[in-house]
Amino acid sequence: MNWTTAVRKRASEQLTWDKLLPSEQPVYVSSLVYSFGVFTLSTLLIVIMSGIIMASKGPLWYQVSGVGEFFRSIHFWSVQGFFFFMTMHLVGQFFMGSWREGRSFTWVLGALSFGVGVVTAFTGYLSRGDFFSQWNQVQAKDAFNGAGLDGFLNILNNGQVYGLHIVVLPTILILLVGWHLLQVRRLGVVPPYPEKGEQEGEVR
Amino acid sequence: MKTKVNRAAGRLRRDPMSFPQKEFDLIKEGTISLVIVTILIIAVAALWGAPYRPAVTNQSIAQQNPVLMEQSALNDLDGTSTMASYGPPYNNGWNGSAQSIQSLGGFAPQTWWGTPYAVNTAKDDVITPLSMLAKAGDNSALSTALATYQSASPAQQQKWDNNLNNALAKATVQNGLPVVPAGNYGPVALMMQDELMMAQSGLLSGALTRETNNGVYRWNVQNNLLFLQGTALHQIAGQINMKGEQWGINHDEQAYPGPWWLTPYTFLYQIPPYNTIAAGDEAAAYSVGILFVLLILLPWIPGLNRLPRVLPLYKLIWRDWYKRDRSNKKVDKTTLTKKGLA
Repeated sequence: MNWTTAVRKRASEQLTWDKLLPSEQPVYVSSLVYSFGVFTLSTLLIVIMSGIIMASKGPLWYQVSGVGEFFRSIHFWSVQGFFFFMTMHLVGQFFMGSWREGRSFTWVLGALSFGVGVVTAFTGYLSRGDFFSQWNQVQAKDAFNGAGLDGFLNILNNGQVYGLHIVVLPTILILLVGWHLLQVRRLGVVPPYPEKGEQEGEVR
Repeated sequence: MKTKVNRAAGRLRRDPMSFPQKEFDLIKEGTISLVIVTILIIAVAALWGAPYRPAVTNQSIAQQNPVLMEQSALNDLDGTSTMASYGPPYNNGWNGSAQSIQSLGGFAPQTWWGTPYAVNTAKDDVITPLSMLAKAGDNSALSTALATYQSASPAQQQKWDNNLNNALAKATVQNGLPVVPAGNYGPVALMMQDELMMAQSGLLSGALTRETNNGVYRWNVQNNLLFLQGTALHQIAGQINMKGEQWGINHDEQAYPGPWWLTPYTFLYQIPPYNTIAAGDEAAAYSVGILFVLLILLPWIPGLNRLPRVLPLYKLIWRDWYKRDRSNKKVDKTTLTKKGLA
């Protein structure tokens, strides 16, 4: 079997331009709840952009420079926005039962993104370089050690924590979110539950 | 009008493309969303900034609370500090005993990795920094004190340590230095005073992180952080409500929002058995881990995966669709494409 041909065939069948960049959508997509996903992505983009700017100047810049502090503030508030919209998105999708009709894996990717997002943000809090970092770093060591993660992660090693925060975890997060998005576009938005009395599947 | 239904394997699979469609501009919607949140975030950042409280240094503790600084160093020397007997991954306890290893019914993952980040508080935090100070300052009195202490029997060392510990509890401060009544402290009184003065000078932090990264690129600040992690940091954290039992990490400085998304995790620290057992951290970590696995596997958990169907909120979210469906209204044809209309 030719792997390249197989991948191309599968991609061209499942990831058509109509699905990737749709210019129409089902009429049932009509609620504020649907905007939480796109707001989550927008805030994530700002988190990444402000993070790249901060990383390019190093971990001291945002502690000693006024401009650095401003970008740290943008980073801080975009993270707050990211978690707000992601939580609203998660809750909304739960109430819509959005794992239905072949979308279980989309849900799994979304939940994993949430978990990786939490750990990424935590390493960010430890990279702030202030008392909040200092205090939570020594407190968190007990949790990480107790969980048995100490062999991999020395939470008191700022070099490791900072590296995880700016490269390793964001890369995993972006891959998960990207995959989640592809799944959403490939399968489309989950249809509403059939109404009571209506035969499952006989959706009018 | 019926939508395309795939009942393969008895499962409902409806194609969203076969429902009535309306116009949508993905790129425009994404751009508008990005512009809105960018403006909002920049405005909030410019208006309110972000929280920042400078880290606490050994120097500031030594200057503001010299008794506490000497007590911290002395407890590291005599093996009564938390870190002295912590256990893995830092050490195997003080003289091989009194470890505080977290274990739930014998399940102790803390011990799986051995002691990769070795810490001997007496040597790392007191003896070696003081030896460096004695050499750098050609301080023969300190060199003699260190030699006397190290050559004394453990029982003698403990006696001196205990005597000074008891005296420090009643010490007064004059000219930035603790004053204790005359007593049998051996060389320990001088050692602690010099350790305090080294901290007041600002040199102690560098001495504590001396061995990491071969002493040049000091990205690992483990020993510096651990030195203050006991009473010193707890006192300051307690004053600003950041201790674990005060919902610790869940909130930030004053009015700023903290990492509120950790609420389920932080909540566990407020209730028994998590806030009463010695392995509370381990129990909390694994409880949250199990909850997270449940969240991931939700689509396959019987009962939970049907919960949204039982709750009425989906009717609110799709109210327009159900209203349209029930009244069998003809949707404005100008907003629909022909595709999907039967």
